[in-house]
Amino acid sequence: MFRFRCRLLGFRFHASSRLLVVGGAISYRALFNWTTPPMFIGTLLVGPLLQVFFFVFLGRELGVADDRFHLVGNAVLAASASCVYGGTMAVANERRYGTLGAVLLSPRRRVPMWLGRALPYVLNGLFVSAFVLTAAALVLGLPVPAGALPGLGLVLFVAAGACSAFGLALGALGLRFRDVFLVSNVASSGLLLLTGAAVPRETLPEWMRAAGELLPLTHAADAARGLTAGAGLDGHLLGAELAVGAGWGLLAVVLLAVFERGSRRRATLDVM
Amino acid sequence: MLAIEADALRRTYTSRTGWPRSRRTETEAVRGVTFEVAPGELFGLLGPNGAGKTTTIKMLNTLLLPTSGTARVFGHDVARDPVAVRRRIGYVFGGDRGLYDRLSALDNLRYFAELYGVPAREQKRRIAELLDLVGLAGREKERVEGYSRGMRQRLHIARGLLHHPDVLFLDEPSIGVDPVAARDLRRTVADLAAAGTTVLLTTHYMAEADELCDRIAVIAGGRIRALGAPDSLKSLVRERDVLEIEAYGVDEERLDRVRHVPGVRGVSTEDRGALQTVTVQTGRGASDLHGPVLAALDGVRIGRVTTREPSLEDAYIAIVEETAGPGALGAGAEETAV
Repeated sequence: MFRFRCRLLGFRFHASSRLLVVGGAISYRALFNWTTPPMFIGTLLVGPLLQVFFFVFLGRELGVADDRFHLVGNAVLAASASCVYGGTMAVANERRYGTLGAVLLSPRRRVPMWLGRALPYVLNGLFVSAFVLTAAALVLGLPVPAGALPGLGLVLFVAAGACSAFGLALGALGLRFRDVFLVSNVASSGLLLLTGAAVPRETLPEWMRAAGELLPLTHAADAARGLTAGAGLDGHLLGAELAVGAGWGLLAVVLLAVFERGSRRRATLDVM
Repeated sequence: MLAIEADALRRTYTSRTGWPRSRRTETEAVRGVTFEVAPGELFGLLGPNGAGKTTTIKMLNTLLLPTSGTARVFGHDVARDPVAVRRRIGYVFGGDRGLYDRLSALDNLRYFAELYGVPAREQKRRIAELLDLVGLAGREKERVEGYSRGMRQRLHIARGLLHHPDVLFLDEPSIGVDPVAARDLRRTVADLAAAGTTVLLTTHYMAEADELCDRIAVIAGGRIRALGAPDSLKSLVRERDVLEIEAYGVDEERLDRVRHVPGVRGVSTEDRGALQTVTVQTGRGASDLHGPVLAALDGVRIGRVTTREPSLEDAYIAIVEETAGPGALGAGAEETAV
């Protein structure tokens, strides 16, 4: 009996893992609008790199902050394009293709199904941030200690995870509202302003600083700056970023469940 | 155990319009639908647009909660136990949408195999089987965005069958499909039913329903108006003759004149480009009505005029027109069991 239960649990774990990884990977190809090489390079790599240069040169001109502040902060922020919009597309594009009904008829558990959709955007965001940081550091001549690289990789990974959870929470609104990309546009601007990735947070009003504490990337940007300056990994900042990501992930799962249940009652989904 | 039981199913849609003071509107899409489908039966649900067919299917497949009433699929309550219902059903709907255009047919099926819980070691074999069944073997690596409507429809069916469902809901699967593809699709559906799958089919094509269905329910205005085998439904209009008139430029005023000819039991038209086919149901042996009917169409060009036996389509039209107003089948009858 015990062996049977163990085998059953093992089977369920394997099936859920497949849904998380295989399902997530296929849904990324199906639903992410920027997978073609020109879109990927233009939107996710070149655009954010130019944004780094813009803020660095603007920062030099205005004397707001040094190169490290803008370069590292904007490199961390670069993950937001794929993570925020990707998370939104992972749910909202189901409406576009008319596949939402077929997806919601799945008898599978929703947590691996939806979290699997966020997983590719975590890796995508990590890749984008790493690329932008490397390219910008090489072009602008910012020294990054070799010993900081593992810590930086970890921070960028956690940042991309938190940002993808944030994107998925926004995407969940797609089960309830049609024009959800409007929310993503506002959210992206909010991240630019409030996380301190591009604008020093000490110059912001108190309420904006408080809002930034609850957003992804805020703590990761500070942690990454510390690492590139040779200060070592700040466990508190990393933990805070993890907690923020977990909070958004939990909110995403709750919103998805609530809106799915509500859609059956209120017929709010144009599912077919 | 029955495959599907629907008992007094009702569904009301509530919508709000206007801002900041919104107005609430309630629409009763389904008003107390009751029917049963036996395992292995091919059951048709016919009705005009907006009759409540799709809403009924969406309640049965768990996408919508009934406002009142109950429904069960193989004993599982659709409201209280949706996951158990979903494990046993497949849903196929017509039209161009409902597939991931950027993916190949193979990847579409792989993804839905994961979603519908097909075990990993069975997926490859099952997908190959289904591609073969729906005639897409050899084209499975092409992106779906390049598929014709018929190919998309066949892919929809393959998707609906991935997890060996006991009950298959087919919501207008042949809509917009060319005649050859529609024939292949009918053959596939008939084979599925022959193999023991319970099928609930909605369609606008009467010939399709007549050929395939063991029993048919005609739904209009959210209620079932008639329920029985195709031959039984046809018997509702057995005492009638059908006059088919090919004409050009018949307007609503002339159709009204035909409707008011004494002895005429129903009138419908079908447009085929410039040509219209006016179908007039009359009492049995009422050949003397030809003159008054043609006189009522005075002023339009008339082509061929033929008389024929009533078909399932005529029975359907008679039942639906009965819903719209008093007619020959007995005013006030809520449902005709035949």
